[in-house]
Amino acid sequence: MATYIARRLIQGIFVILAASMFCFIIFQYMGDPVLNMVGQYASFQEIEEVRQNLGLDKPLYVQYGRFLWNAVHGNFGKSYVTRVPALGLILERFPATFELVSLAVLMAFITGVVMGVVVALKPYAWRNRLIMAGSLAGISIPTFLIGILLIMVFAVFLEILPAFGRGDTLQIGFWRTGLLTVSGLRHLILPAVTLAMYQLAVLLRLTRAGMREVMTEEYIKTAWAKGLPPRKVIFKHALRNVLIPVVTITGLQFGELIAFSIVTETIFQWPGMGNLLLTSIYEGDQPVIVTYIMLAALIIITANIIVDILYAMINPKIRYD
Amino acid sequence: MLAVTFIAIILGAAGPATAASTLIVAQDYPPRMMNPHGDDSDAGLSYMANFFDGLLQRKGSDGALVPALAVKWDHPDLLTWRFYLRKDVKFHNGNDFNAADVKFTFERLIDPEVSEFTNTGKQIDLVEVIDDYTVAIKTKQPIPWFANNMHQVFIMDKESTESRDPGDVMVKPIGTGAYKFVEWVKGSYIKMEANEAYWEGAPPIKKVEIRPITESSTRFAALVSGQVDIVTGVPVELFDKVLKNPKLQVVSRPARRSIFLGLGNKPGTPTADIRVRKAMYMAINEDEIIEKIMRGHASPAAQVPDPPTIGYNPDIKRLAYNPDMAKKLLKEAGHEKGFDITLTGPNDRYVQDAKIAEAVARYLAKVGIRVKLDVKPKSVFFPEVTKGILDFYLIGWFDGTFDMGRTYFKLVHTRDEEKGFGVFNGAAFSVPEIDKLLQSTADIVKPEERQKTLQKLNKMAMVDHIAWIPLHYQEDLYSIQKDKGIKFQPRPDRWMVYKEISK
Repeated sequence: MATYIARRLIQGIFVILAASMFCFIIFQYMGDPVLNMVGQYASFQEIEEVRQNLGLDKPLYVQYGRFLWNAVHGNFGKSYVTRVPALGLILERFPATFELVSLAVLMAFITGVVMGVVVALKPYAWRNRLIMAGSLAGISIPTFLIGILLIMVFAVFLEILPAFGRGDTLQIGFWRTGLLTVSGLRHLILPAVTLAMYQLAVLLRLTRAGMREVMTEEYIKTAWAKGLPPRKVIFKHALRNVLIPVVTITGLQFGELIAFSIVTETIFQWPGMGNLLLTSIYEGDQPVIVTYIMLAALIIITANIIVDILYAMINPKIRYD
Repeated sequence: MLAVTFIAIILGAAGPATAASTLIVAQDYPPRMMNPHGDDSDAGLSYMANFFDGLLQRKGSDGALVPALAVKWDHPDLLTWRFYLRKDVKFHNGNDFNAADVKFTFERLIDPEVSEFTNTGKQIDLVEVIDDYTVAIKTKQPIPWFANNMHQVFIMDKESTESRDPGDVMVKPIGTGAYKFVEWVKGSYIKMEANEAYWEGAPPIKKVEIRPITESSTRFAALVSGQVDIVTGVPVELFDKVLKNPKLQVVSRPARRSIFLGLGNKPGTPTADIRVRKAMYMAINEDEIIEKIMRGHASPAAQVPDPPTIGYNPDIKRLAYNPDMAKKLLKEAGHEKGFDITLTGPNDRYVQDAKIAEAVARYLAKVGIRVKLDVKPKSVFFPEVTKGILDFYLIGWFDGTFDMGRTYFKLVHTRDEEKGFGVFNGAAFSVPEIDKLLQSTADIVKPEERQKTLQKLNKMAMVDHIAWIPLHYQEDLYSIQKDKGIKFQPRPDRWMVYKEISK
């Protein structure tokens, strides 16, 4: 196990390096960030002076080498736009995204699995067919449309939930939380539902497919034949086996959503990391973009490793050597 | 059951509970930082104008230049600007405001680490403190519009700016302004409270909360759901919806920014021939662009400056839309079969910018000019403009100084890297006659004389040489909650200055 994790970590470092290098290559085609920083009335010399100050006049490999050298020392550079350290800027936004994604994934997992089981047990009941049709909608309707529809219904017509933002938040140490105030929770509902919708549909379909397959297995038939109560057959014998791929997918999605819940965050003006990334791309804020991408890669790799470990715990047959 | 009760509490909790004295505003542009010199865009200055004061300020719907931290100013010789400072003004931290702060501020402008006003800063030769409340600023060359810009340069406290950590200065503003900074949660809100000791008297609204919302449909939803009191930047496509909503009121005013098309006259290119430029001008149906694309929220422009700007010339009229005449002119110029040209423009900068460019391409196609469209994000577009490598481009402009001198040096003067002229002359347009006249305005200070010369220059550029094809002036659109008794008069520079709003 330990060697396996070590190997995965080394792979991870290469992935992060590749991601950052890719960013630097893309920056060459992203426009000139200097112009964004010199003011509207700067002369040619002033533009050049700022370019030299930032070292952007140097060849690409020099810029990249210097970035890596500083990054190894924990310095990811200052944001061109706000002139404060890029890493701090991103981490400041982390709690908002983490709370949103955690709730969304939790909702998607519980609802998805429960509904998946229910649907699998009686696949031809009209109610269950309706749920399946609904899950198709969940997969195919784009997130921004779901978000806008929810805003229109719950914020504009019914006026029972807020349309945007995070509401009142409390600062506890470095963590700014919206989970401890009524206003914060109210603000969390719509974006979390929006973000959960697609995941829910995927997990539901995955659980249903797994359940239907497992329910025909010999050992389930044996369990029924032994006269075990349905609760035990379904949850202990069937679901436990079905959950293996479901947990894997949930874990992977969790990492991905933390890194890239950009659309939902933009629609709801959620002050999270995705929102920051989008603004930074518009503004050509290269240090923030590259730090973000590296951090995103780190989060996804970590999520993958955790999923692998969980996998081994749920399914004792799996061994990493 | 517990869950149901919980949900009931959450849904039942009072909606947007805001005290009567709090104003909540949804702005279309988030602040970059809280350093008053770090962002010279009007969107950024708009935030800073509440925490800080300039030596002068602009007031009213015509943007008249009036005293602020300076009670009066004079201009004893071409290079000197003397400001007499207001006494008994305190910064939010209790420090006194005096000449040392002014000197510190102007010297800070040259540092590109913290300032986007390096252009202003580097034109200053020295800042001389005559006494505690008098400063003389000497410029290296005559800058006739120097005072006109003084509402944009906000005065900082020397002591606290020097003693604080530079990172702290970027996020916590300490000024003399009508509002004190309370809290900035990036991406969420900026909170400010009234400065009861403000030199102009305490502002009527005691608490202001600004919520930057970049997505326009979300901004609209926030307003309709009653979460905010004022929304800036109502998108034209949502305008009719706001108008129909009985709870909302729309406030609009002609914007200062004009949108126009830049052309080059490099020898050998089709547009080097003035007849071709004229034909292109006449081939574009601007009235239809205003009606169909801007949905009526724009007014036709015949020149780049807007009426209150020195240099605006009321005698300049638009060339009428006349595609037949355009075809004739093209034929005369030897382009009967048309030619190929690339129209470059931003797609995230001006109201409906990409759609306007598409429309222009279609109109020109009707007279045989084959336009290749190249619209791109502003961060890619503007660097190309400053390189001067374009053929034909869509751009907008307005000058905060209300004087066309500075802008024309950037837009129409022949590109000169050495002297910094023509930075935004994107197609390297060049007419020596215009350059000569423009340079002669550099030491004209008297407004009447400037007006006369700049008007002449403007006419030369627009009529004699067709340096640009003007399109329209934008309109600034705001929407406010009708029944909250908010008194709000939009400013020409689109700044949101909360001491001017009451409710």
